[in-house]
Parts: sequence; C-alpha cells; structure tokens
Amino acid sequence: MFLDAVILILQEIVEAALLISVLVTLIRLLRQLWPTEFTLGYFWLLTSSVFGLIGSWLYARLIPTISLWFDYVGLEVVNALIQTLIIALLLVLCYGLTKSRLQKYPKLNQLISILLTLVISLGIFREVSEIIIYVGGITAQPENVAPVMMGSVIALGIGASGGILLFYCLVSMPSRWALRACMILLALFAGNMASQACLLLTQADWLPYTPELWNSSSVLPEYTVSGQLLYALVGYEATPSALQFTCYLVAAFLILISPLYKITWFSKKQSETD
Amino acid sequence: MNSMKFIIKFITVCYALSISALGFAANQEVEIVIQDHLFFPSTLELPAGQKIRLIIINQDPTAEEFESYELNREKVIPGNSRTVIFIGPLAPGDYPFFGEFYPRTAQGMILIR
Repeated sequence: MFLDAVILILQEIVEAALLISVLVTLIRLLRQLWPTEFTLGYFWLLTSSVFGLIGSWLYARLIPTISLWFDYVGLEVVNALIQTLIIALLLVLCYGLTKSRLQKYPKLNQLISILLTLVISLGIFREVSEIIIYVGGITAQPENVAPVMMGSVIALGIGASGGILLFYCLVSMPSRWALRACMILLALFAGNMASQACLLLTQADWLPYTPELWNSSSVLPEYTVSGQLLYALVGYEATPSALQFTCYLVAAFLILISPLYKITWFSKKQSETD
Repeated sequence: MNSMKFIIKFITVCYALSISALGFAANQEVEIVIQDHLFFPSTLELPAGQKIRLIIINQDPTAEEFESYELNREKVIPGNSRTVIFIGPLAPGDYPFFGEFYPRTAQGMILIR
C-alpha cells in the first residue's frame, strides 16, 4: 500500500511540479532581462498554490456529479477543457509578454500575475483532486492510513525535489540558454497537455479514432520509471494516435514561434529592446 | 508567414486523417463490475476492428481508477457509480487493465480476437 501510494501520488504531482519550476525560472530570467519594465514578484506562486488546493478539494467533491454529465463522459470533457485552457493561457503569455508592451502598459505585470495564478491553479487542481479522491477512499480502512500518509509525504517530497532540482539546473545555465531551455520545456508541456486533451476526447468518443502512429512499448514501456519521467517531461506515449501527435506538434509549435521564444534567438542587445 | 502556411497545411492533413476514421461507430457494449476491488468479469474476449463502449459499474463505496497502458485509457470512477469508456478499434492481442487505486487485486485482461 505504501509503495502504491508513492507511485500514484508521484505520477500526479511531477507534472505540476515541473510546470511550476519552469514558470518560476522563466519569470526570474525575464526579470533579469527587463529589470525596469518587468516588476512581477512571486506572490502569484502563493495565491496559485492556495487557489489550486481549494480548487482541488472542490473538484474532488464535484467529480461524482461531473462524471455523470454527457452520458457518463463528463470527466473527460471537463479535464480536456482544463488542459486546453492551460494551453490557451500559456499562449497568451508567450504572445502577449513583450518588452514594448510592458513599457506601454505597466499594468501588464498584474495581468501576467493573474494569468500565472490561473495556469498553476488549474495545473494543481486537476492533478491534486485525484490524490484527494484516492487518499479519501483508501484511508477509509484504518490499516491503510499510516502507509498511505507516509507514502503521500514521501511522494510530495520527491516531486517537490524534482521541481527544485530542475529549477537549479536551469538557473545554473547561462541566462540565454536557460531562457531557451525554459521555452522549449514549456512547448513540450503544452504539447503534452494538447495530446492528453485529445486522448481524453477520443476516450469520450467526442473525437474520432485515428490510427496508432507507432508502438514503442516493447522498447520503452510507459509504466517504467524512465517511461513515466519522459511522460512528465516530454509527454512520451508508447502508442500515440495520429490526432494526438498532431495536437502535440501544433501546441508545441505555436509556443516555439511565439515572440517570447524568438527573444532567445536574437542577440542580447536586440532582445533587451524587444 | 511560411510557418502559418505550414500550420494550416498540417491541420488540413490531420483533419483528413480524422475524417477517414469517422466510420467507426461503437457497435458493442460491454459491462464490467468492480466489487471488493476486483473486476467482474476479469477477462473479456472481444472482436478486433470494432469500437467498444465499456460500461464500468463501481459497486464499491470507494473510488477506483481504471487504467490500461496498452489500451491507452485512464479514468477515475467514483464509489457507487458507473462510467463509460470507449476503446478500439483494436488489433488482435491481449490488453491488460488494472485499478490504479487497488492495483494488487483489481486486474483484468481484454482479449481481442
């Protein structure tokens, strides 16, 4: 029971921990790049964690009702909607945040803060609600309480450590490379979320079946540690459908052609004026 | 501009791919019951090349998560409730599934023939 709890909770929180880590690094790097214009602090991190946890609890309470919607596929539809909303908010960030806009509209800092709060809250509450349902159900049996609680604490510790490790890896790189790495990771996360949203809607029969593009389960099964890690980092799927792969590429590509990504390719002087 | 053209072309190709697969309507319904953290039946034999509507009825008071890496499916089923998952069309083979919340007992297999 202890090991099951560690694995399940870790699977849920790693994605959110990595996303938070990349966004915190990105904001830190942009503050260094545009020190006078980009004055955003880190209060959004606290508000998003609080909203995320409250949202998780509410969502967990609503899941029994939501799962009845749309002829029993409500959960897939709502989860796909959440993933799509996160991608849309990330695109607004990547296309809307430029130095010239910050100079023209200083209030953009507050809008970015709200946007980041929404992205992280949504990211947390989709993942954590599942943990709440799991822990709530399994601890109904008194003998499970201690191992599940211990497993939860250890999984949270490992997940948070993973996020912190990624943060320090990124900030130890030269700024321009770190910025580029953040944007590439953000593109991969967006691709992963688009692929998941597509999979959910296919599972609900709201999107049509499309053929499987490849099957790499014999080389790298999804249930292995490396498979799970690659899933969290780059959205690895052993048997993706054509539509899933397309959604992945489109979302990642949209981030990689955004103005925020372009500043990582220009010269230092140019990007400072952009 | 070129990148926009590329995106539009890409979406068109994918749309065509999707349309080509629209002919698959769910033509079989199968029920699986979860009771005492076990699946009943735990083994199902189903036809290849068909879309299948799995109806999962959780009779336990606690939630379970239906999961299968091979079927590429994952869904939380609240306690004392039912849900629907569409699978297929699938190629012949064995597709194991399990309950992620109680993986030691909740295990099953879909045999596609």
